[in-house]
Amino acid sequence: MSRFALEGIHILDFAWVGVGPITTKYLADNGAEVIRVESAARPDVLRIGPPWKDAQPGINRSQFFASFNTSKKGITLDLSKPKARELAKRLVPWADIVVESFTPKAMRNWGLDYENLRAIRADLIMLSTCMQGQTGPNALYPGFGQLMAALSGFYNISGYGPGSCAPPYGAYSDFIAPRFSACALLAALDYRRRTGKGQFIDMSQYEAAMQNLAPALIDYFASRRVLGPRGNASDRYAPHGAYRCADEDGNERWIALAVADDDEWRAMLSSLGANSTDARFATMSGRIGNAPALDEFVGSLTRSHNAQELTVRLQAAGIAAYPVENCVDIHQDDNLESFGFWHWLDHKEMGASPYEGLSHRMSRTPGALRSPAPILGQDNDEVFREMLSLSADEIEQLKKENVIF
Amino acid sequence: MPSELLNGLRLLDLTDEKGALGAKIFADLGAEVIKVEPPQGCSTRRIPPYLDDVRDPEHCLYSLAYHAGKKSITANLASADGRELVANLAAHADFIVESHPLGYLESIGLGYETLARRNPRLIYTSITPFGDTGPGKNYNWADIVTWAAGGMMYLMGEEGKPPLQMSLPQAGLHAGAEAAVASLLAHYPRNSDGLGQRIVVNMQACIVWTLMNEQAMPFLHGNHLSRTGVFVGSADARRRMVYECKDGFISTLIAGGVVVGGSTRALIEWMGERGPVPEWMRSKDWVSWVPGVFMKLTEQDHKEIAELESTIQRFLLTMTKREIYAEVLKRRIFFAPVANAADIAADEQLRARDFWVTVPHDTLGRALTFPGAFAKMSATPIGSTTRAPRIGEHNDEIYRGLLGLAPDRIASLRAAGAI
Repeated sequence: MSRFALEGIHILDFAWVGVGPITTKYLADNGAEVIRVESAARPDVLRIGPPWKDAQPGINRSQFFASFNTSKKGITLDLSKPKARELAKRLVPWADIVVESFTPKAMRNWGLDYENLRAIRADLIMLSTCMQGQTGPNALYPGFGQLMAALSGFYNISGYGPGSCAPPYGAYSDFIAPRFSACALLAALDYRRRTGKGQFIDMSQYEAAMQNLAPALIDYFASRRVLGPRGNASDRYAPHGAYRCADEDGNERWIALAVADDDEWRAMLSSLGANSTDARFATMSGRIGNAPALDEFVGSLTRSHNAQELTVRLQAAGIAAYPVENCVDIHQDDNLESFGFWHWLDHKEMGASPYEGLSHRMSRTPGALRSPAPILGQDNDEVFREMLSLSADEIEQLKKENVIF
Repeated sequence: MPSELLNGLRLLDLTDEKGALGAKIFADLGAEVIKVEPPQGCSTRRIPPYLDDVRDPEHCLYSLAYHAGKKSITANLASADGRELVANLAAHADFIVESHPLGYLESIGLGYETLARRNPRLIYTSITPFGDTGPGKNYNWADIVTWAAGGMMYLMGEEGKPPLQMSLPQAGLHAGAEAAVASLLAHYPRNSDGLGQRIVVNMQACIVWTLMNEQAMPFLHGNHLSRTGVFVGSADARRRMVYECKDGFISTLIAGGVVVGGSTRALIEWMGERGPVPEWMRSKDWVSWVPGVFMKLTEQDHKEIAELESTIQRFLLTMTKREIYAEVLKRRIFFAPVANAADIAADEQLRARDFWVTVPHDTLGRALTFPGAFAKMSATPIGSTTRAPRIGEHNDEIYRGLLGLAPDRIASLRAAGAI
């Protein structure tokens, strides 16, 4: 029986929405005990975000919330009330790590900032993550990942060419920052083990997102060259892009492919039973320089093929290719299936639905989606009774006062 | 100075563009990262574009960015001597991250099982495009195909035009960062029992993870999204995410609710100060306004959304990105400029936080400005402040200092093409 990598690690999680909860999900799915502190007075906005069970909104019906909060416990405390803040502080001695993701003033106003909490537990590790960091003139910028993806430069490199904007879906930067914040927390745990010292981690989601644009930013500072949208054009591959295949069930299908050199180009033509006498396409530089005409030609070759069969055929010829998958396709994808990516969990109110699993697999201490996301306040009785030794009467009274709320 | 955070740990970086960022994260955190390259340099040394369009490895922007803070050695894996050097280094390493074709390192005696016999502490992380068991485990790879396989490409672009990748490929960066997280997860239990393990990262899965709330849509709502340009939502209930302004684009999402509804109200007040705004917009209770992008909307909702969006569009066309951003910061409105590198370089917030790092590049005879650390850590500041190494720059340091090889032995390995 294997154990989980982070067994014995305790996390008090005040975070909400995307980056904070996804960060603690990494740790929770790997065995850390995570208690999420929420409140019905100000619910996590993802709890009311789509999709919902049977397309009907409800505080415990959102897969948006459920996906990011597996393997965690949930309690409710209305932190605008002093009694609730005292209860939260009483959980701090238990916590190796505290995580929060409000705009910077919130925890300070509640007296729950790092300086106050480290007085309770000296070796505490605390992560505060927000849009633009804890300091600076725009620290209080309110926003979410969609806006950050625009602000941090991703929208500007998404489009068909100058003057075009065709952005990534959703809150793209929310899926960059958590990998960095998880690394920072895990490394801070190692530092604490060696030195006994905790610390405060100020993570600006803006600054984390910037890591994924580093070459373009270095280039701008050095040469003032501004990277803009350029469709699927490449300086390394030609052809390179998405090409229309045969429709299936009335839906258009596309294949993505990339050809790295002239040998691959000839192999691709041969596997399609085609040839090209166009001198412009004979060399890589010619194909790159005539990409629009090349794309049209390749599109004419792929148009009659089934995208999946063409993928198998091109891959056998040594060409990087894959169908452009939609959200139905990814659930039927043989490679994701074989990896064991999808998990079905039975949520108390939502019943069974599919969840993203882990994107990696460990041989000795594999992680797992250990339980579905908590319904709001699910673990109040257990946590307040067993961890804070409150009596049933005290808990009932605090609920009446909307402190546990 | 490297960070104290992971001081004393050593990682061998056998990745290409599928994992370079992962190894760089370790360098940022203070580990000693040794990049192992073939004698002619890793393929990441030849990724365009190049600084000043000078097509040599020293000017490759990808390498300048994602090998900063690392050391570089050369080892020819096609030679028995080169393989033995890497095996000996692995005995001194805490981590290996690699992204070779599946089974290649095993086939030359550098697989996990072999190396772990000598060094049971080793954490060995393999980055794969499509996993290690499925029909695509040996598939050829380019960044665009995992962007497509992970579902993000389908959602980017306009109806009637091809699905899109970003101009700076992203899939390898996500996979590299995932490899860093997984390796550090495995490090924690090793501290108590001294045992490492093998990890497989699935890049396709890393991209699926960027789809936010969309993956379960077919199961819960019975539909799924397709690419709709600057709109989000389905054909009968969509919302504009990007508006034009005087000199570019502005991103927002107009909505109701406790959090965003206040922003919508503040926007209407702002528009009202600058010109006429329809009375219904002024009097509407935006906090309790319900229509969402995934809901069935009434005729009235559609009419209101259309009028609201056209009013906002006319309003934003009178101002620049910079003017709009300055104002929304004051008014706490959920707008963001679609920033380009010039906007980002000029951003006062990043400057106020001393985000940018200037790194001398003696190899280029100039200094380059880099994005700084991904987090500010109070006890152990992180981030790489040394330039990317030249190919094989640290051969002597590592082969002599770490493996204890005599200078004449190194010379003969070099002459034989192993280094």
